[in-house]
Amino acid sequence: MGTMVTMSEDRRAEGQLEESPWNKASGAFTAWRAGDATAVDELVSTMTPVLWHVVRAYGHDREAAGDVIQATWLGFVRLHQTIQDPQAVASWLITSARRGAAAHARTARRADPVEDEALAAALPDEESAETVVVLDDEASRLWGAVATVDERCRKLLRVIAFMDRPDYQSLSQELDMPVGSIGPTRARCLAKVRTALTTGGER
Amino acid sequence: MTTGDTRLLDDLRDMWQLADPPPPGLTSRMIAAVAAADLDQEWELLVLVRDSADEPAAQVRGLGTARMLYFNATEGWSLEAEIDGDQVRGQVLDLDDLSGVEVTLETAAGQSWTTAIDEVGFFSIQAEATGSVRFTVRRGEAVASSRWVEL
Repeated sequence: MGTMVTMSEDRRAEGQLEESPWNKASGAFTAWRAGDATAVDELVSTMTPVLWHVVRAYGHDREAAGDVIQATWLGFVRLHQTIQDPQAVASWLITSARRGAAAHARTARRADPVEDEALAAALPDEESAETVVVLDDEASRLWGAVATVDERCRKLLRVIAFMDRPDYQSLSQELDMPVGSIGPTRARCLAKVRTALTTGGER
Repeated sequence: MTTGDTRLLDDLRDMWQLADPPPPGLTSRMIAAVAAADLDQEWELLVLVRDSADEPAAQVRGLGTARMLYFNATEGWSLEAEIDGDQVRGQVLDLDDLSGVEVTLETAAGQSWTTAIDEVGFFSIQAEATGSVRFTVRRGEAVASSRWVEL
């Protein structure tokens, strides 16, 4: 576990996580509403990568994920006036992206979602070739561990990892889980990842 | 959530960021989509047609300290506003249906004040408006905003 902690601290030291995307998003949103037309670009730049991970958690291929994210932004342009609290803009976007991703999963059941995500890093296609290079030992170990847990766990963990304040009420509806079980399920899923890390380490 | 769980989630987030990053062009594609969608919206512009700051003070009905602004909407109605210290008064003119019309005064610093207009189109707002301000008139779905005016 010690090395993994170092991994995130290293990255923080590089300054990538100095300001959380959620704070940056609400700052940009406030500025945009106040008439700074360019601030919306910053909001989009800040939140698009976050939405990417949230939508990919639902197993959509890269193209479909892009479409879901675009639909999320168009909905935002249409409905942003209904967002009362600027602090809530990140949650609003994430919730909207999750709904879009869940709806898309219901209507387009084509490629096996689990396979798509699992294969993305495992297979040396054009996109993941560079991915494999970037993954350091710790990240590869984590990836391997996550790949061994069930799809439901993987989805839950990926969504929660990119959420500011997990909104368990709506999460429970989309993941078809009772609200009260999300906390324990998350703990159980994390425990599974830990176990897989330990087992993998002994090999 | 335990500290260990939080750390593991942080590490997982870092891992996913490395293992499955968004495609390089995704953000710019979204910026373009938002810009295009925003332009599509029917935001009408309230055009500033007269500003007391551009006129000799004496001509402005003797209101030495007040700033008078006149805006026209392309649909033919207009908005008059008089800003005098923290008192902002005005009238929406030549608008057929005045019911449910709201006037909002915003500052570039992010403050905003909204009020309904009365049956003849008058409104009054108590507002510490300084710096750049703009007016927005909402009629249900229809929104008309002025550009920022420096006070």
